[in-house]
Amino acid sequence: MKSWILLLFLIIFALWYLSYSATRLDRLHHRVETSWANLDGLLQRRAAVALEISRSAIADPASSLLLTAAAHQAREAEIEVRSQAESGLSGALGLLLQDGHERYGPIENDLLRELSILTDKVRVAISLHVDAVQRTQMVRKKFVFKLFRLAGSAPLPVTYEFEADVL
Amino acid sequence: MPLQDNRLLRIGIVCPYGWDTPGGVQNHIRDLAEYLIAKGHFVSVLAPVINEEKIPDYVVSAGKPIAIPYNGAVARVLFGPIAFARVRSWISSGGFDLLHLHEPAIPSISLLACWAADGPMVGTFHAAAKRQKAIFAIGPILEPVIEKLSARIAVSEAARSTLTEHLDTDAVVIPNGIYAKRYGDGKKIDEWSGNTLGFIGRFEEPRKGLAVLLEALPIIARFAPDVRVFIAGPGDSSDVIDGINPQLRSRLEFLGRISEGDKADFLASIALYIAPNTGGESFGIILAEALAGGAAVVASDIPAFESLLGEGKYGALFPSESAQELAKVVIDLLRDVEKRSELAKRGKKYAQQFDWDVVAEDIFSIYEMALVGSEGVQLASENRSWNRFLGREES
Repeated sequence: MKSWILLLFLIIFALWYLSYSATRLDRLHHRVETSWANLDGLLQRRAAVALEISRSAIADPASSLLLTAAAHQAREAEIEVRSQAESGLSGALGLLLQDGHERYGPIENDLLRELSILTDKVRVAISLHVDAVQRTQMVRKKFVFKLFRLAGSAPLPVTYEFEADVL
Repeated sequence: MPLQDNRLLRIGIVCPYGWDTPGGVQNHIRDLAEYLIAKGHFVSVLAPVINEEKIPDYVVSAGKPIAIPYNGAVARVLFGPIAFARVRSWISSGGFDLLHLHEPAIPSISLLACWAADGPMVGTFHAAAKRQKAIFAIGPILEPVIEKLSARIAVSEAARSTLTEHLDTDAVVIPNGIYAKRYGDGKKIDEWSGNTLGFIGRFEEPRKGLAVLLEALPIIARFAPDVRVFIAGPGDSSDVIDGINPQLRSRLEFLGRISEGDKADFLASIALYIAPNTGGESFGIILAEALAGGAAVVASDIPAFESLLGEGKYGALFPSESAQELAKVVIDLLRDVEKRSELAKRGKKYAQQFDWDVVAEDIFSIYEMALVGSEGVQLASENRSWNRFLGREES
């Protein structure tokens, strides 16, 4: 009699644990999605600012061409090549701004300030996203999650490779 | 340049420690809440409270705190079923856009809130501690809760490495805030100037390190006979006075608790601010204040101070708990006025980055990131169903 009760208790606990774990994983996937949405939004804005810079007095015709191409590439990139395209844009911006000690007008300075604020935010957004992705990958590797296929059909999130040093 | 200048939020902040006991976390939350309210946001702070009559109207009491020993001091925290019920009803009736939980890894109401809520949540980790088995043995239980946070903030590199070590997750470092401008324009008061050393803090606590300073005092006095030490902060000074050499007693003066205005004058007047803390500090807000007040700082080389002072660039460091080394550094700086004022000037400029105008905007931009694509905070599904099961609807 006693062992029956114990077994029942164990089954209830196991069921609760599975449902709890599924919720947990669902939340993590949600976190990956929202942190990506945030990063994506910031990167889009960065590309827009880069386009504005390419049309401003900061860029000479040659770097303007380079920057425009890089910004468009970043905006239209598929998700698999996105980080590569964004790194390209970072590189183009870096090339343009590395010797940027000339005196610019107020509009140009506003643009540069906006870019630097965005760059800081992108950096934070990347670390938030990477943390969410790593957590999710880690949890999905666990035995229970694999055995009961708690992830369902959700694709395994991939780390966003971003060359932070060129930012 | 905030993303949406005119979006006003409903923000719920959870304070894990007793609101009416002094402490760095409480001060941080109070300043942050008041800053956000001044910007027009709605802020509600849930905190354990001892005396419910003396709290500001943005604070909601979660009950009386329980004292437990933690990290070399007594922490006043709160947990248990009644507290949990209050946390849940605060969340479900608050209609918050975002929760900001402080110290969610400490067994207190922040952890309960993190457990009970679903939606955008930001966690700030203050503590820096060596591996603590008692608290962090519950890691496997903590992890699924902590990973619900959309973003994590650590107040210092020390706090960040504590977090990576214990919970295997990374955080964005945003320092604690001070009102740098308030300290910037202190008046020089003759009584406190000259060859004077200043100390602010609860000097009775051993980890504040007053004993190290007192041990160094005879050596300092040999080389700088007119040296005087001013000690500000709450506590009973008689025990300290009894313990020291009678000849040195006249060089010590206890000021008791001083007001913020006096603090600015104090920091502007003294020759050196001494922080001999022996550990248990995560950020060292008092050093930031001392720097902003224009004092030259001498501090022990515990990790938090070392990183706050830029490895000695913005204040002199000495090996922690070594009275001889402290004396050496102090004597050197008392003799070299130019070096001292150079250090103070550099420190004051550096301290502006801890001003609330900078720090709170950084925190707010984390809020904005956490808010992307969200529909506000609500009770987590497992708690909702539990409530339904018990026949309780809390919203």
